[in-house]
Amino acid sequence: MRHEWPFGSVLIANRGEIALRIVRSVQRLGLRAVVVYHAIDAGAPAVARADQSIEIHGSTPVAAYLDGTQIIAAAARAGAGAIHPGYGFLSENAGFARACREAGLVFVGPAPEVIEKMGDKVTARAFVARGGFPVAPSAIEDDDPGSFIERARAVGFPLLIKPAAGGGGKGMRIVRDPALLASEIERARSEGQRYFGDGRLYAEVFVENPRHIEVQVLGDAHGNVVHLHERECSVQRRFQKIVEETPSPALTPDLRREICAAAAGIARNANYTNAGTVEFIYGDGKFYFLEMNTRLQVEHPVTEQVLGIDLVEQQLRVAAGEPLAFKQDDLQPHGHAIELRIYAEDAARGYLPTTGAILVLQEPQGVGVRVDSGIRAGQDVSAAFDPMLAKLIVHAPTRDAAIALGRQALHDYVLLGCKTNIGFLARLLGHPAFAAGEIHTGFLDAHPEVAAEPIVEPAILHKLLAVAALTSRPLRDAADAVPALHAAIGAWRN
Amino acid sequence: MAHAFRLDGHDHELWLSRSGSVYQVHVGDTCVPATLTARGAHVHELTVRDISERVVIACRGDDVHVHLDGETYLLRYSHSLERFAGQATDEAEAIARAPMPGAVISIAVESGASVRRGQALLIIESMKMETTITAPCDGTVQTLHLHVGQTFDSDAALVTLERLKEAP
Repeated sequence: MRHEWPFGSVLIANRGEIALRIVRSVQRLGLRAVVVYHAIDAGAPAVARADQSIEIHGSTPVAAYLDGTQIIAAAARAGAGAIHPGYGFLSENAGFARACREAGLVFVGPAPEVIEKMGDKVTARAFVARGGFPVAPSAIEDDDPGSFIERARAVGFPLLIKPAAGGGGKGMRIVRDPALLASEIERARSEGQRYFGDGRLYAEVFVENPRHIEVQVLGDAHGNVVHLHERECSVQRRFQKIVEETPSPALTPDLRREICAAAAGIARNANYTNAGTVEFIYGDGKFYFLEMNTRLQVEHPVTEQVLGIDLVEQQLRVAAGEPLAFKQDDLQPHGHAIELRIYAEDAARGYLPTTGAILVLQEPQGVGVRVDSGIRAGQDVSAAFDPMLAKLIVHAPTRDAAIALGRQALHDYVLLGCKTNIGFLARLLGHPAFAAGEIHTGFLDAHPEVAAEPIVEPAILHKLLAVAALTSRPLRDAADAVPALHAAIGAWRN
Repeated sequence: MAHAFRLDGHDHELWLSRSGSVYQVHVGDTCVPATLTARGAHVHELTVRDISERVVIACRGDDVHVHLDGETYLLRYSHSLERFAGQATDEAEAIARAPMPGAVISIAVESGASVRRGQALLIIESMKMETTITAPCDGTVQTLHLHVGQTFDSDAALVTLERLKEAP
């Protein structure tokens, strides 16, 4: 059956690995892929792979990708009928979704009203609590700004302060010392204002060593909502995920059914359409609603691997008005999938971002190995964007087999020229506590040896020095000259 | 003559000799027989003491990037002048440097302003966090190297101060 798309071209308002990943799905469905790019990304793989690329400008590279007006104008110029926002940037910006609609463009995501309701942490929490789903003790600034500090103090310490409009760990601060509450609130407000144009805050109890478990949901415009099972994303640094997997090693079958049903229920209550993720904090056998991400997640590939579904394709089909092609019972996961985020950063130095030119890139391949990458050899890694370079996703029948496959793939992953966390990820997968599934959001603080740079053994040092010496022209020339000199002396003696 | 390569902050001295087709790498009292054979773009076969393995190498200037047995290393050729020269410092100047790559969010001082040690000079953003860069000493702001919105790499000079002269 041939499907008639209401749009022939899709503009991808993003960059890096996710832009390339969306371009691939768009083209596979017989649609034209248009990307926008800042000059700094002119050599990126997504730009080379797209059917059309339009340069956008901004005071900083990030500002260009946040300029909705410019991007909508680019869509009009390219004749695109739909805009896929990817994740980050404009993906959870209700104003942008509305501007797309007003410009006659299909926004590949939920309706702006739903983004507003579920994307704002404060209104989302209230909405979820009203539906009878569990939420954590908290203080909301908007309820009464004058008493916010006192109410935050009453929630207790340690306390987590977050921007009401936030996501991705931006602007979040843990406060352990009550004396620092006021100054930390001001800092969080400034960051919220800058990142989201919204300085409103809320505070909630900070659960020590919780697990982060989230559930993928998908709804269509005909009232159907399904969940696509859970992902565990507990291994984090600075509130940002590093490793995600499905299924969660923590959940019993009963708890899994309960948490997935809660997520689908929340999405159904919200009349949610398109792909979204309901995030929960889980600890001591209890879970409560954390937030909803009204967009595609970075870690969506693990769900795709165990279900054999292309989520971007599903997003495009829902956006085109199609009903979901499957029912809840059709979605039976197979095996275990793990995603490892490849970051340009130095784990041993506090996960500081690194920069450099990518001189050599050899990505791992093989059965069960998937690399979603936004880089190529010759490209410069700059500090202008998030340091994520690529994602390695492995899929195997069991968790143990997936860990083994991941370790092998990391071993084969060659990226020279810019320090990355590949060695760190290999140490993490090899850690006994990780293998045992004993993970929580404080895992890396509890196991600092994972981030530490290993000592170089003398045997390895000698090999490295041999490589350095043998690739150094002056050293090699000097060594080569010595036998020649002997030969000359020999001739002279004659 | 001995050369040196820097790895993880330590200089390792070595020299290279050759007998026939095999090179000898001399490190301290150890002599390591080694050959390196190209097997493709950046890919080589390293043979040390008759054991061969695959190694990926990229050189750029003084840097030798090496991927060996799943780990990545960076060795840097140490020039003897730098190795033996002391740290040259200009007593009259103090420079506030970037602790990490990032972007300038706001600048709190103007050129020519006098500042106290610990006073905020500018706020940078890195790793999605704001960090305040403070004056390393009392002095006068000589140069603001960056403007708001500009990005920089680790260790970039942000603000140069002229040190306050000690009262005579």
